[in-house]
Amino acid sequence: MHHVLLDQWSQQASPLHARDPRAKIIALGVFLVVLATTRPDAVLTIGLYAALLLAGILIAGLPVGGLLFRAAAILPFSLTFGVISWVAGDRLRAIGLVEKSYLSTVAVLLTVGTTALPALLSGLEALGTPRLLVLVAQFLYRYLFVISEQAQHTRLAAACRHGKSRNHGRVRFRAAAGALAMLFARSYFRAEGIHRAMMARGFAGGFKPLKPLRFRAADGLFTLALSGLLILVRIP
Amino acid sequence: MTPVIEVRNLSFQYEDGTQALQDVNFTLNPGETVALFGANGSGKTTFVLQLNGILQGQGSVTICGMPLSKDTLQQIRAKIGMVFQDADEQLFMPTVLEDVAFGPLNQDFTQQDAVARAKRALAQAGMCNALEKAPYHLSAGEKRRVALAGVLAMEPEILVLDEPTTFLDPPAQRNLVKLLKSLPQAKLIVTHNTRFASALASRAVFFEKGRLVADGTVEEIVQRYDWAYSPLEETDLRYSAQRRF
Repeated sequence: MHHVLLDQWSQQASPLHARDPRAKIIALGVFLVVLATTRPDAVLTIGLYAALLLAGILIAGLPVGGLLFRAAAILPFSLTFGVISWVAGDRLRAIGLVEKSYLSTVAVLLTVGTTALPALLSGLEALGTPRLLVLVAQFLYRYLFVISEQAQHTRLAAACRHGKSRNHGRVRFRAAAGALAMLFARSYFRAEGIHRAMMARGFAGGFKPLKPLRFRAADGLFTLALSGLLILVRIP
Repeated sequence: MTPVIEVRNLSFQYEDGTQALQDVNFTLNPGETVALFGANGSGKTTFVLQLNGILQGQGSVTICGMPLSKDTLQQIRAKIGMVFQDADEQLFMPTVLEDVAFGPLNQDFTQQDAVARAKRALAQAGMCNALEKAPYHLSAGEKRRVALAGVLAMEPEILVLDEPTTFLDPPAQRNLVKLLKSLPQAKLIVTHNTRFASALASRAVFFEKGRLVADGTVEEIVQRYDWAYSPLEETDLRYSAQRRF
């Protein structure tokens, strides 16, 4: 299944995978702030940030094409607002919306792709994220997979029963609309099943990581060096 | 001998008004294996979900001498290991080892102890070569074994298995029988597979419209309710359609 790709990526070994999740979360936070405050026409700065991300993907050993392609999932949304801004005459904002949202998504995917979910959530909690938010994030992540899995089953079942009628397109559209409702209903029941299975094994509202978090000197150095570099690139 | 499960006058109604269980009485003794038979929708799964408090009805449920209540819920969930029908619902962590250690970590064991328990349980289930594998890469039989290991790692006193032979081919079913026979825990097995039940259980109970209507040996129950698989004939189909609830 395609949806497990992020989990597979996060299980690999690389210098980025080895970093404590807190170090990566802090660096990500710094990146998002400096990127958000960069002028969209600062081509060199934006280019350097993109190059840093590319270097990160290569160091982590993640597939460059695969990650950049998946990050493009944000484009339909950011392009919509970009087009609105463009039409309204604010071209700079339009460009900024698209480039910043895309680079931010790449950065988030790089962080999630190099950090196993339980460790990432423990890192967030250790950094003071409210427990309720962490819980929502972990269930959202798990249940998004449930919906995606159900969608793949539904698509397969629909593809097996599609003929070639004259009204093929319309029939498919109507079937897809019906399937969507079924998809959410089935996902709901599956999610309920997963929740029951978790409770049966003593789940009381928090994933506990198998490996304890350890913030070593190398993690501190990584955070300082990367944050410093990101700020340095931003200053001019 | 104190029963490990003692259920008295248990009734349960779903929010939509469906009366799923009605005045059920049941006991399971230490080391005993009991098969739960009954038509689809007769209340078998609803019944087992009452045992660890996932669903809560009226009546009393006592597990290993502890009455089921809010205060004893976590202790009871450690005593009663539940293997669900769909192993995919039970396996949700990125690797087999993390998944099997999920229960012990929730029981507040240290990471080291949780790993040791997980490895022991995986060895018991014959899956110690799959520690770092992703659960979704396993075959149906292997998933079932890992799901069982996830429960064994919590070292429960009772095993509840809901349709454990679903999705398993005959060799995998035989392996599962061998594995379950080797485990000392008391077992409650929800199944339609009478051969599987005969191989493991000495006693069976039968559910009908939310009531536990019979308790006896597996052979008695199978014979009384004509519950064995046989070649389908038109009359059988009509009969079974009449019996559906």
